[in-house]
Amino acid sequence: MSTAREVTIKDQVREFIREELASAKGISSFRDDESLMDNGIIDSLGVFRLVTFLEETFGVRVGDEEISAERLQSVDTIERLVLSKTKK
Amino acid sequence: MAYILQQLLTRSAARFPEKTAVWARGATISYRELEEKSNQLAHLLRQRGVNKGDRIGLFFPKCVESVVAMFAVLKAGAVYVPLDPQSPVERVGYIISNCGIKVLITKDEKRRALDASTLQSLDFCVVVDQPAASGNGTGLVPWTMLADFPGSHPPQVTLTETDLAYILYTSGSTGRPKGVMLSHQNALTFVEWCAAKFQISHEDRLSNHAPLHFDLSVFDVYNAIEAGATVYLATEEIVLFPTTLAAFIETQKITVWYSVPSALVLLLLHADIKAEKLRCLRTILFAGEIFPMKYLKQLAGLLPDVELYNLYGPTETNVCTYFKVDRGRLAGMDKLPIGVACENTEVFAVDDQDQIVTHAGASGELYVRGSCVTYGYWADAEKTKKMVIPNRFQDNFQENIYRTGDLVTLAEDGNYYFLGRRDSMIKSRGYRIELGEIESALLSHPDVREAVAVAIPDEIVGNRIKAIVAPDQSRSLKAADLQQHCASRIPKYMIPELIEFRTTLPKTSTGKVDRVELSRDSQPSIVS
Repeated sequence: MSTAREVTIKDQVREFIREELASAKGISSFRDDESLMDNGIIDSLGVFRLVTFLEETFGVRVGDEEISAERLQSVDTIERLVLSKTKK
Repeated sequence: MAYILQQLLTRSAARFPEKTAVWARGATISYRELEEKSNQLAHLLRQRGVNKGDRIGLFFPKCVESVVAMFAVLKAGAVYVPLDPQSPVERVGYIISNCGIKVLITKDEKRRALDASTLQSLDFCVVVDQPAASGNGTGLVPWTMLADFPGSHPPQVTLTETDLAYILYTSGSTGRPKGVMLSHQNALTFVEWCAAKFQISHEDRLSNHAPLHFDLSVFDVYNAIEAGATVYLATEEIVLFPTTLAAFIETQKITVWYSVPSALVLLLLHADIKAEKLRCLRTILFAGEIFPMKYLKQLAGLLPDVELYNLYGPTETNVCTYFKVDRGRLAGMDKLPIGVACENTEVFAVDDQDQIVTHAGASGELYVRGSCVTYGYWADAEKTKKMVIPNRFQDNFQENIYRTGDLVTLAEDGNYYFLGRRDSMIKSRGYRIELGEIESALLSHPDVREAVAVAIPDEIVGNRIKAIVAPDQSRSLKAADLQQHCASRIPKYMIPELIEFRTTLPKTSTGKVDRVELSRDSQPSIVS
């Protein structure tokens, strides 16, 4: 697992959240460890747009039971979720 | 019979002192503690100068202290105003000023986010979380100070059922939110009807899915307290994730559920709900938007023993009609009625000739009469006069009725069916949204010349919002800039998801922006 690859996943996730979810809520910046729920970036439909993005971009399958506050809390935890699936 | 809301708590606290009244974020509070703490906070408020009728803002994410605060304000004889903790600071500031709120019950971080002029307008803030260690103690009252006040009895205040209990702010067409004033009697009319209709008992476990500034929460909180039951407050990290939400219903053994239909649709689509897992669930109530029949039929099939009710009513009357889903008829139905009037409430439709609709198949605007009807909008006599009007259909005595702005049809079986709105109000995720409020926010951007907001029908959330904007040609305005601009003025659920730029907007022959054409261009998108 190279560092370069990790950075790419995180960048893509951050970019998607900024462009597709945060900007529609009028939020332009957020930290990688910031809760996307507490700041209102993710709403009930945003959750599923994010999951679709992860599945399509990284070729992973995110099960319904994985769609949780714990896994999708922040850019950091989303990266971890994707990595845990692509490593296999 | 209780005539003011806090009597519901005092009675249940006497009957079930050690029972859990409220659960939130893993914390609980018993009936005895809730009664005592709300007495203490009420004394604190009075001692600090709160008088009967004063408005007090509740500005923090929901937790057990939310319910303590609601009852404390009522016991102090004051009126609580739940403020959306996710709302932009400017909007919260507007409500605080519009409503003349001088006291906030809040969290320190929420209070700090408010702008300086709003903070200056306040007399003091009670802070529910860790008391701020900062020396600036004059206007800040830590929650620990409650201990200095008596918990055994509430302050002495004379109240009647006609006094105001709370004010709920909803979207306003003029670009500013409006405060719907609700009295104790308004609330109790609804609560008592629900208690009898849904047979809520002390053994019930009610969920609270809606935010506290949303009128659905009135049922969850007050009907639980009325019965001596327990209310489980579902917070963001539960509500946003269908499998987490399903697990919450299962592990908390929820018996009575109330939410907007879209929350149930997301559960159906993403949580693999099964009757054997949700064994305790006996009643599902839904309101706030139209339940798509396809999903309602699925839900009715998946949970064959659960009673399903469609409740209808604007914040101004709370629920005024209901329809119990009849599984025998459901298969053949293509539209769900809003039903018939609740007991102690009268509804009727008024047609274009200003006649009350009496025969099946006829349509008109729905009017509501009875003790559920609001006094009107806080500090807005003009808007009140338009919506809460003298009953011109009887002249024996003076009374007001509420015109809902909703068009309905009366069916053969006596049920009403919702047809649509008379104005440009729409619903998304059950939230009332005035397109005019969004347009005002868009137009307040210096680079916007013309702007129209339109609703794009959506199967799950009801509507999505799109804006069509004609910007100032000399500027390069981006959608993200405009969305960010809106975020400081309107709540997140009102910000247009899509923004289309055009050089000019189409006009009607009278020179107005042609909304019909713009709406036609914005056909429903297919949701995956």
